[in-house]
Amino acid sequence: MDQIESILQRPKLYNNIDGVGELSCGFMMLGFGLLTWLQARSPAGAIWHRMDVFAVWVGLMLLGIHYGSKAIKEHVTYPRTGFVEYRKRGSGAAIAFVVAAVVAAGIGFAARFHWNSALHLRLTTPVADFGLAFAVAYAFGIARAVRWKWAVVGAIAISTVAVAMLPEDTLRAFAGDASAVAGISGVTAGAWLLSILAYGAIMLVSGGISFVLYLRHTQPPAQAAA
Amino acid sequence: MNQHIRKIAELDRVIHEPGRLMIVTLLYAVDKADFLYLQHETQMNKGTLSSHLTRLEEAGYVEVVKTYRGKIPQTLLSLTAAGRSAFEQYRRKLKEAL
Repeated sequence: MDQIESILQRPKLYNNIDGVGELSCGFMMLGFGLLTWLQARSPAGAIWHRMDVFAVWVGLMLLGIHYGSKAIKEHVTYPRTGFVEYRKRGSGAAIAFVVAAVVAAGIGFAARFHWNSALHLRLTTPVADFGLAFAVAYAFGIARAVRWKWAVVGAIAISTVAVAMLPEDTLRAFAGDASAVAGISGVTAGAWLLSILAYGAIMLVSGGISFVLYLRHTQPPAQAAA
Repeated sequence: MNQHIRKIAELDRVIHEPGRLMIVTLLYAVDKADFLYLQHETQMNKGTLSSHLTRLEEAGYVEVVKTYRGKIPQTLLSLTAAGRSAFEQYRRKLKEAL
């Protein structure tokens, strides 16, 4: 029975066999992070603060991610290891998200209780909670099937804690004017910005490694037939 | 006859064969998949996979659609309603038997 359950999970894991899921996630995080950083670093009248520029940026980013991942699937993945059309999502993804959020909230609460004064987690806890939820969701969704991806879970968790440990002045300085734009404290804005850039970079590296490994271990149809 | 042994004897033999069980299980988790995907996941050769798919198609469990992706021929496979129900029943009976 366990083997049947394991085979039932395989098509879900196949979705990220080429690392495209992580690459998309990484581009999105870096895209948002970069725009926020540009907003923080530019004067109030700069184009980065305009809503139409924001809409164009997000639109281009989403279009690039959508058509980029579609092109990789069409021209690389499907000819090498086959095409899959997934069933409409049920409650599984929502349950995974809720479980991740509850676990992260628990860890965040424990961290706040124990390390409050030492790690400055009081102000950055919402960001740390997000980071821990992200690590748990990643572990549940991806790392449990691919052993080396546990290193990615570790990298997400370490970067979350590292950002939480940074001095408040550093976080505030990094945020620049972003806190005024977002209406949150400078420390939280800095922690959020640094975290999103770190997660984006981690996702890009992890997705890139997966993509290279996929290309190495699979053969294009012409070579496979030969 | 022991009740557990009777349960095992009642298992759907079309699905119970290990190769076909793998195919049906993979197709149960998706809406549709192509021949290449099944070949990649099951590591069967084309002949073996084809013969299992023919058996499943004859049983009315799998629907086979020949189409094209661009200019490349593609064989799309999906479980029929009867196939889904047979697999669910098979899992239930197997759980009861074990």
